[in-house]
Amino acid sequence: MATQGNDIAALIGQASAHQKWPLARLISLVERNLPDAREQRDQIMQVLSAREPLDDCNGLVVGVTGTPGAGKSSLISEVCQVLLGRDSSCTIAVLAIDPSSEDSGGALLGDRTRMQLPVNEPRIFFRSQASARDLGGVGPQTFQVVRLLRQLFDYVIIETVGIGQSEVEVRQLSDHTLLVMQPLAGDQVQFLKAGIMEIPDAFVVNKCDEEALAQKSLHMLQSSLKLTHLALDQRKPARRLVFMTSAMRKRGIDELAAHLVGLHNDTGSRRDRKAQEDYHLRKWIRQEYGRYGIRVYEQRVLPLRQSDNAGIASSYEAREAQFIQAMEALISRL
Amino acid sequence: MSDKKKTHRLYDKTGDPTQDRPWIFRTYAGHTNVRASNALYRENLAKGQTGLSIALDLPTQCGYSSDDPIARPEIGKVGVPINSLDDFAVLFDQIPIEQMNTSITINGTAMWLLSLYVALAEERGVDVSKLSGTTQNDLIKEYLARGTYIFPPEDSMRLIVDMYEYSLHHIPFWNASNICSYHLQEAGATPVQELAFALVTAITILDAIKARNCFSEDEFERCVGRISFFVNAGIRFVEEVCKMRAFCEMWDEITQERYGVKDPKYRLFRYGVQVNSLGLTAEQPENNAWRIILETLGVTLSRKARCRALQLPAWNEALSLPRPWDQQWSLRIQQILAYETDLLEYPDIFDGSHVIESKVSDLKAQAYTEIHKVLEMGGGVEAVRNGYMKSALVASQSERMARLASGEQIVVGKNKWSEGLESPLVRDSDGGIFMVDAGAAQQTLDALAETRRKRDPAAVEACLARLTNDARGGVNLMEASIACAKARVTTGEWSAALRGVFGEYRPPTGVEGQRMEMVSESVGAVRQKVDNFIRRFGYRPRIVVGKPGLDGHSNGAEMIAVAARHAGFDVIYFGIRLSAVEIVQSALEENVDIIGVSLLSGSHNEIIAQLFEELDRQGARDAIPVILGGIIPEPDYPGLKAQGVKRIFTPKDFDPMLVMSEIMDIILASKVG
Repeated sequence: MATQGNDIAALIGQASAHQKWPLARLISLVERNLPDAREQRDQIMQVLSAREPLDDCNGLVVGVTGTPGAGKSSLISEVCQVLLGRDSSCTIAVLAIDPSSEDSGGALLGDRTRMQLPVNEPRIFFRSQASARDLGGVGPQTFQVVRLLRQLFDYVIIETVGIGQSEVEVRQLSDHTLLVMQPLAGDQVQFLKAGIMEIPDAFVVNKCDEEALAQKSLHMLQSSLKLTHLALDQRKPARRLVFMTSAMRKRGIDELAAHLVGLHNDTGSRRDRKAQEDYHLRKWIRQEYGRYGIRVYEQRVLPLRQSDNAGIASSYEAREAQFIQAMEALISRL
Repeated sequence: MSDKKKTHRLYDKTGDPTQDRPWIFRTYAGHTNVRASNALYRENLAKGQTGLSIALDLPTQCGYSSDDPIARPEIGKVGVPINSLDDFAVLFDQIPIEQMNTSITINGTAMWLLSLYVALAEERGVDVSKLSGTTQNDLIKEYLARGTYIFPPEDSMRLIVDMYEYSLHHIPFWNASNICSYHLQEAGATPVQELAFALVTAITILDAIKARNCFSEDEFERCVGRISFFVNAGIRFVEEVCKMRAFCEMWDEITQERYGVKDPKYRLFRYGVQVNSLGLTAEQPENNAWRIILETLGVTLSRKARCRALQLPAWNEALSLPRPWDQQWSLRIQQILAYETDLLEYPDIFDGSHVIESKVSDLKAQAYTEIHKVLEMGGGVEAVRNGYMKSALVASQSERMARLASGEQIVVGKNKWSEGLESPLVRDSDGGIFMVDAGAAQQTLDALAETRRKRDPAAVEACLARLTNDARGGVNLMEASIACAKARVTTGEWSAALRGVFGEYRPPTGVEGQRMEMVSESVGAVRQKVDNFIRRFGYRPRIVVGKPGLDGHSNGAEMIAVAARHAGFDVIYFGIRLSAVEIVQSALEENVDIIGVSLLSGSHNEIIAQLFEELDRQGARDAIPVILGGIIPEPDYPGLKAQGVKRIFTPKDFDPMLVMSEIMDIILASKVG
């Protein structure tokens, strides 16, 4: 059931007015993985960029990462409520990503249970997405959906899976990344000291339900940041980039929301869209042609080994060499 | 005489042969409205029932008055609606409450119901210190299994401790809470999990009471003696006997070692029982009568570990809410066991059995390991917050589902010997099930309106202001609540005032991170369908699963969510207590291929109507198919299907992969048109 050009224009019209179902269907179109999907996505992006006025179409993309259990969903829920309350024209899309099962490929997308957002409110849109076994803490289609949403909303908030190399990937999707941690999360501080983790733009110490613990965590974080000479945004004092929040006690939420409003109003806060596109194109090539390579291996190398009775048990090097041969044979034909 | 005592006989203090008094016979009852329930209670008492067990409807349990929009579909469905003290006066009309042992199944609003009971006694001029009974009031198992919590864990613990403090000083025969392992077993708990999580709950409450430091040493000891339990008994009745003996021994050890209780009588494990409903089948439902008898043995055979009170489910519970006759039939089982058999003439018949002893010590060792694990992570409240206990239960339940589907665990009439003659019991004119009179809700609403009209608004306002203040100020809330009751504050108003101070809580669902260990032909078949779908449409099929309405029994919905992921779906799990509007909105925003809702409270007709109304309003009525799961009486099928429900799944559909396979067919049919 291919959607025709006119339908797409109509959908985009309705989605621009933040009608939920048309927008949801538009997202499904850009997420779709069929031969004609690229052409359709191209159509959608063209119609979108042709809209007037263009200056409204530059939403701030905020990536939120941090280990499961740090309270990302509840925090996002609270921040959204504050943002909506501050400005009656403010619009937000939340894209929450959960891991897919290695075994079945299916996913349990449970972030809605932790969100308390207004119902039938066109200014806020929530969507769940499966990581589809992508290791970066976001899904292979997340970038496409973000490209769409940032043209329709003031804020696009991406909640990552929170495990794996989330911080690296989410930086390539967003203008600003927040690392949410629990008070005294020793592990993460160790990561910071080792310099393994890419540096987020700001830290949020969430679940600061208790003052003493919150202060202790703040000092610990600040001193480890100083110790490792981690260069945060040099223009701002470090303490402005560490937020102490408690979604439960509604603490620190206003400050975090104000921080995001500041970024939203600062056009200089947007990362280079072309560079991000290039990153994702490269990533797509890696994945797409990686899969192509696997198909070649399965269809041209494995049967070969079986027929000469050596089977898969033959040496690793022999199989590698045969794969290269098979690939070169195919490429030379091009 | 006394020098010839026989080991197999029971003797009284003077040395004469004697026999035990039976346990308290109860029937969990309440429905429609206060008048109908009052008549039912008086009928049951006349039939020889010796205690009352009050079932309240879901709005009352969740803290809403009957005239709240969310309450409308649920009024009087799973219990009696209580809006104010005026309702309580009718409910207990002509029942001498000072002579009753009254058990109230109430949790989120337990303090409110106890306040109503105390206020009723005071208005009747009854000495409140004579009141005896139990408020269930175990919030930990609500977060884990039953779903009628309202406030966050810390605030709930505070209300519980308030009630213990008040009860000990004013109503010494009242059990302020009743720690439930019952619902844990219904949610899939193994005997070890039942032992461990129930005892952790008791420890969490006693630690909180100790931390408040409101009792003298002697009072604290008496308070420990007031802790009572509500236990489940499954079909594996020998293991259940051992579980009960383990409970008794462990409680004696914990109260002695952790709390230093010296008097053995305050270390007794006192418990009531409702035997297992989870294992009752909708297939060949007459077999359930035998299951109920066998389950009863587990909690009565061992004298040392015998229950204090017993209520039995009805044979047709898996079909719908039981009728009075069905309940009477269950009561008869208890009477025959207590009065016809020789059970009550003997001392403990298991003493000296090496087999039982070994099994008991095995259960104890495993349960202690689990208890220490939870205590090390910070205790019961923390293990609710971090989802540890919930995830353990969901895992056990999905293992159980997999065993049933594979036939590894035999259930007669369900996955084995399922062919048989049809039971004449289900061929009665009403289909063998009980229907709540839809018009009766109006009487409840009229009574509520009358209460609102007659009361003094200034007094109501003043009482609510005091309640709010006391809640903020950390004052014990019982006195303020009793004052509210007398001023005819409503259930919804009392709850709203405290919601305003404490907020509302949503605990972890436990479904995330679950793995279903199920490999069977049906798994392969449904995954093939999913793969074909992906190849054809370019994305993974999407389903939203949620529970509309106030019913919090989330097991079914959780199992479907876990199973759908195992089949290869992307599953949007939305949890419990949702409005129809919220479910439809999630379906639209997520652009799902199908909506799956689960309902057990009997309010499916009304809630499904609301759901389709909203789908209509959003122009999505025929675009997104809706399926329904739960306990749905067959006479309701045609109406639900006429509204647009594509398929109704019941406990008969126990192979989750066959369910998923059918769901795939429905999705395909709807997409291809």
